[in-house]
Amino acid sequence: MMSVIDELKSIVGEDYVLTSEVDLVAYSYDATFTSARPTLVVLPGSTEEVAEVLKVANRERIPVVPRGMGTGLAAGSIPFGGGIAMPLTRMTELLEIDRENMMATAQAGIITSDLARTLAREGYFYPPDPSSAEYSTLGGNVACNAGGAHCLKYGITGHYVAALEVVLADGRVMRLGGKATKNVTGYDLLHLMIGSEGTLGVITEVTVRFIRQPEAERTAEAVFPKLADAGRAINAVLASGANPAMLEIMDETAIKSVEDYLHLGLPLDAEAILIIQTDGSVEEAERGIEIVAEVCRQNGAREVRVAATPEESAEMWHARHSISGSLGRIRPNKLGEDVTVPHNAIPAMIARIKEISARYGLPIVIFGHAGDGNLHPNILFDKRDPEEFERVEQAVGDLFRAAVELGGSLSGEHGVGVLKRPYLEMALGSVAVEVQKSIKQALDPHGILNPGKIFV
Amino acid sequence: MTPTVPAVAEELYLQCIRCGKCLSVCPIYRETRIESLSPRGRVALYRAVGEEGLTTDEIYANRFYNCLMCEACREICPSGVQLDVILTHVRVDLAHSGLLPEPLHRLDDVIATAGNISNEPNEQRLGWTANLETPPTGLDHEGPAEVAYFVGCVSSLFPASYSIPQSLVQIMERAGVDYALLGDEERCCGYPMYLNGEADRAADLARHNIAAARATGARRVVMSCPSCYHMWKHTYPELLGEDALDGLEVIHETELLSELTQDGRLHLKPWDATVTYHDSCDLGRKSGIFEPPRDVLRAIPEVELVEMADHHAKSLCCGGGGNLETFNRDLARSLPRRRLEQAQDAGAKYIVVSCQQCKRTLAGAARREKIRVRVMDLAEVVLRQMEEE
Ligand SMILES: Cc1cc2nc3c(=O)[nH]c(=O)nc-3n(C[C@H](O)[C@H](O)[C@H](O)COP(=O)(O)OP(=O)(O)OC[C@H]3O[C@@H](n4cnc5c(N)ncnc54)[C@H](O)[C@@H]3O)c2cc1C
Repeated sequence: MMSVIDELKSIVGEDYVLTSEVDLVAYSYDATFTSARPTLVVLPGSTEEVAEVLKVANRERIPVVPRGMGTGLAAGSIPFGGGIAMPLTRMTELLEIDRENMMATAQAGIITSDLARTLAREGYFYPPDPSSAEYSTLGGNVACNAGGAHCLKYGITGHYVAALEVVLADGRVMRLGGKATKNVTGYDLLHLMIGSEGTLGVITEVTVRFIRQPEAERTAEAVFPKLADAGRAINAVLASGANPAMLEIMDETAIKSVEDYLHLGLPLDAEAILIIQTDGSVEEAERGIEIVAEVCRQNGAREVRVAATPEESAEMWHARHSISGSLGRIRPNKLGEDVTVPHNAIPAMIARIKEISARYGLPIVIFGHAGDGNLHPNILFDKRDPEEFERVEQAVGDLFRAAVELGGSLSGEHGVGVLKRPYLEMALGSVAVEVQKSIKQALDPHGILNPGKIFV
Repeated sequence: MTPTVPAVAEELYLQCIRCGKCLSVCPIYRETRIESLSPRGRVALYRAVGEEGLTTDEIYANRFYNCLMCEACREICPSGVQLDVILTHVRVDLAHSGLLPEPLHRLDDVIATAGNISNEPNEQRLGWTANLETPPTGLDHEGPAEVAYFVGCVSSLFPASYSIPQSLVQIMERAGVDYALLGDEERCCGYPMYLNGEADRAADLARHNIAAARATGARRVVMSCPSCYHMWKHTYPELLGEDALDGLEVIHETELLSELTQDGRLHLKPWDATVTYHDSCDLGRKSGIFEPPRDVLRAIPEVELVEMADHHAKSLCCGGGGNLETFNRDLARSLPRRRLEQAQDAGAKYIVVSCQQCKRTLAGAARREKIRVRVMDLAEVVLRQMEEE
């Protein structure tokens, strides 16, 4: 190992191979409740360095776990089998803004909101906006095919990726996609890499499309005394023609938790709040929000408040974006799932989550991108209590079964990682799992890239 | 010194669910992009000491002293993790088990022996009064004064900062504030010791300074330095008991200036400029003083006051905090650029500060990086606007 470490140091530089216990602890976790230390941490500064590191690792059969900022919710960047943790956080360059083709190219380690903010200064809009956009990387977003509130109307990360540079397990560098708007030359490897969770290649460079900022946006907050009514209102809004850009839900536990953090004066007696945004031309946004307000009232909203200023709107969204992080106020651990069901099944899924919560005696918070059927049931627990943790695991199984029965998926945006592995076959069927495994085998025959993820 | 077993309090770290939100505001992480230099990383290290027996060695200490103690992480944490408490506790433990890094150890020794941070004879403290047209009236004040002015080490001893106390005394004189200086009876407030984890060594300094202030007969002590202010206001009572400051009101320069403005004791001429105000960590986020300096700026006719992307409690540290400059000068020097860019993005031509350390840090970086914004202390601005009446 010693000579390998020296070899790695000669590739990335002395300072960027970390081996102290202190650093290994710091790269042992992501935003889940699990952890495992890597054997060492290697921080490459360029695509060439990534390639050289992978050549060494492939030769020596050392696992390599690509990593962004470690905010994943599926334990995807945790090195359970040890090996090299490889954060791309040094590779943050914004390489090009191509205004003619409306595309931007950046290194994979750029923080997503840094890219979005730079574009916004020029009136452009990069829509994929995971709640973690301020603290996750573009590469991580691509590797998980991250979604966000705007995805309801504008689509997810994968819809905006035009080209990628990927380093394969053996160190070969592959460029995929390009700036042409259509391309059916060969298999669609670009979209194979999107959402591959670091198991097929290391993403080093990303080219994304961007669009023009909409002229106007309006936000409304609708307060529902009954959660079930909020569930029905979601469907009604989607069918109404208001064409919302974002439609998010927070249930009563989420409301309490956020209120405890931000002190905004949220109604603590409500079972749910929907936060909805419309956008487009001034008339479209205005007309849309009127429809939204009307539909919410018809479906049991006690109060609908339309933000009068951009600041007020920002405050409403700030509340929504703070839910996940604030849950530590309630219990020390959380298991955040992101099951996604078809629109018409949203009310039924909400009911099933409540049943499961009651059955296992576990608080399950519901919030998330309700508009696209992507609910975030978060089970709150204390890992130190083994009996309780067993109930958590059973509850998770029931959640997944419910989602699949209702025609939905295990994960809308967080990915499989390790936490959803046992349920993969239930969701995809054995043939699809076999095909996926043979793809993995073809691209990474020695199984060095993020081993143990996605498949059992 | 016998190493002590570091006490790790479970209730302090359990609330951290590792969401990573603090990574977005930590100036050190944003610059280094290394997880063990992030707030979430430091909490994980602290936790690993308790749960996995992680050894607290020099590397561990390095990660905790490479920190500005700016508390942006505490402010943003959705889960309410008390990062300020964790970061302070760890430094206390490290310092008391022989792991205070050498340059910081030396700093505390200098303060303890010289009574100031730059190891000069304490009489030098009045250097800033030398080139004033007339010596400050507060120099040899007779009889009880209205306020005692506690100048602070940097403004007293670093020529580049002289103009701050020079401005404030002239303002007080013109506004008819009866003030007294402590002269060489002033000692370092002890804040650097507190930051290093050796607040206990600052007790004598605290006792001395309070006595010196009382000796002027004043009922108020005013400071230009937010760190002195923070130390006096929050740490002195912890060190010496709740009643240590009885009968003494501790105020910051910005509060005094705002009071004088409101009372109509300052006549300010117009200033046609786009100006932003930079909240220092010690005065803003840690002490909750946000509006007095802004009120003064708003009272200047024609000033357009704009806010930077991060302001008030979410202000971005200039890079001058936490004794980082002493511990890791290169890292400290890389930090102010982002703040200067925020000022430019906001369209400001001037950054007004109310802290000599922020002024040094930001002005120095603007010069090095050739960024065209001017940095001025609020007292300097006020004095300039009072001229030619
Ligand atoms: C509070 C909070 C809110 C969140 N909100 C959302 C949300 O709204 N929508 C959403 O989709 N997700 C959300 N997430 C989850 C997470 O932020 C996203 O999955 C994000 O894309 C992860 O990016 P990262 O840089 O942190 O990657 P990491 O967590 O470091 O890695 C995630 C996975 O990607 C792989 N990977 C990372 N970088 C690369 C690369 N360059 N090449 C190859 N593989 C790589 C890793 O191996 C791992 O499997 C949230 C998380 C938190 C904590």
